[in-house]
Amino acid sequence: MIPKSSILLIEDEENIRSFIATTLKNQNYKITTAASGTEGLHLCASLCPDVVLLDLGLPDMDGIEVIKKLRTWTSTPIIVISARSHEQEKAKALDYGADDYITKPFGTVELLARIRTSLRHSSQMNAGSLQQVPVYRHKELVVDYEKHLVTLSGEMIHLTQIEFKLLSLLAQNSGKVLTYSFIMEKIWGPYVDNNNQILRVNMANIRRKIEKNPAAPEHVFTEIGIGYRMAEADQS
Amino acid sequence: MKKTDIQTPFFATHLGSIIKNILITLILTVAATIAAFWFFRHVPENPANIALVYITALVLTARFTTGYVYGIFASLVGVICVNYLFTYPYFALNFTLTGYPITFLFMLIISLSISTMTSQIKTQGKVLVEREKLLMEAEKEKMRANLLRSVSHDLRTPLTGIIGNSSTYIDNCNTLSEKEKLDIVSHINDDSNWLLCMVENLLSVTRIDERSMGIATSLESVEEVAAEAIQRLQKRLPNAEIHVQVPEEYLLIPMDAMLIEQVIINLLENALIHSKSTLPVELTVTDDSEYVTFKVKDYGIGISPERLKTIFDGSPYTPDNSNDVHKGMGIGLSICKTIITAHNGKINAFNHEHGCLFIFTLPKEKK
Repeated sequence: MIPKSSILLIEDEENIRSFIATTLKNQNYKITTAASGTEGLHLCASLCPDVVLLDLGLPDMDGIEVIKKLRTWTSTPIIVISARSHEQEKAKALDYGADDYITKPFGTVELLARIRTSLRHSSQMNAGSLQQVPVYRHKELVVDYEKHLVTLSGEMIHLTQIEFKLLSLLAQNSGKVLTYSFIMEKIWGPYVDNNNQILRVNMANIRRKIEKNPAAPEHVFTEIGIGYRMAEADQS
Repeated sequence: MKKTDIQTPFFATHLGSIIKNILITLILTVAATIAAFWFFRHVPENPANIALVYITALVLTARFTTGYVYGIFASLVGVICVNYLFTYPYFALNFTLTGYPITFLFMLIISLSISTMTSQIKTQGKVLVEREKLLMEAEKEKMRANLLRSVSHDLRTPLTGIIGNSSTYIDNCNTLSEKEKLDIVSHINDDSNWLLCMVENLLSVTRIDERSMGIATSLESVEEVAAEAIQRLQKRLPNAEIHVQVPEEYLLIPMDAMLIEQVIINLLENALIHSKSTLPVELTVTDDSEYVTFKVKDYGIGISPERLKTIFDGSPYTPDNSNDVHKGMGIGLSICKTIITAHNGKINAFNHEHGCLFIFTLPKEKK
């Protein structure tokens, strides 16, 4: 069997390294591991992996530094592995160019889903972002970018201009977490102030329109202190 | 440079209070003089009013300023004004009038005694606040001690399981059957999950301590917090059935979202695991003008009344039927209490006809 994709894992904890490596090998990924930031940067330059898994707490350098250095020359997706309860650190990593994050402790299923999403996004990017799928579909929700149309179980949903922009931005990046600052800049422009209240109110309105129960969302999920994540589009 | 930096604010507040006192004194004496003029013009038959007006001003000055100086000043002004403006001969000082030194003496006594009383009241207030603070400290200290006790109990149980099972596996690797191996590893898995849940709880407590006085709150949407809590719980207990209901209105409450999530998760998990019932658990959030109320309701066996009294104390649970020793409610609930108290909210547990009900409230942002 031909290995699926190559993955570079930068993680200093031996136990976690071996557990992730075993899991991914069993899923037929080609995996290389590095125990420090410096080693990781070298390996990344020589191997050009399809995805980088990066632990933020490395002994020799700050994980954020690794992201900054990698981003100077490659757009390979970076998935950050971090401990919970450091929302600011995660948001910072994402804003510096990490593609996604996964919180310790995580299950295999979650890890594999994140890797798949990242691979899909990067292949789409390589194929040219204009060749986007024209429609997002998840359960009963359909977002048609061209027709400016959102339907839920076939019924049309009335969204304001901003709400539609927001929803399509999330849908185009489905499966991936988008930070507050990223969304704010995309929708309201680079000069918008730091207060994200306007974004959250708009999201609350969207939630009331597309979710059956706003407290048990099926389509748009909140990552508190970080941003929003839209459920991955159904594979058609 | 640094020294002046430190001293300036102290000096400034001191100066500020002096200016404030002088202002109060001036306003009151001027107001009294104006009132006295009014009485002098419109009710000339009864000159006693004028003295009373000045005495009132004097009492108020002594009450609202700090120190004796201002009261004495006000009494001086009173005596002089009455003499100068309102007694014959007008606009001339004449201290030879009979009994004048006695008037002055009485006004002085009034001002001194009122000032003394005021400062006494103020010191008493300070002592009370101080005592309140000490009590709060003691309460916190007690909570921490309880927590530690239950932690050491609750941590040891799963750790013993993990160590025992894994060493069994290592020692008997060759003789164990596949089925036994799987059993052992799944026990280790269970215990570690339980351990993780507890460590997360403990971590949340350090979040409170880090910022010495309480917690760092920001405005968070109630529905988002509830949704994320349920999502995280369902990651661990995929079969959990939870009915959730939030207010139609978009509600923002000042809180540490991570901590409130922890509380919701703990309560829901307790309800799911300890109710011994397969009926769904309900999470309801309601908007009650001053605060927001969260209710977690299950339809299970309920809680014994004796247990209910001490349920948030963090004392290790010693159940009558010993099949529940492993996953006592120990620290989870006492951490809930700590978190909610740090948010200035309240948490309570009740039994209803078909199970138990946990309610906690969070105050809304003050307008």
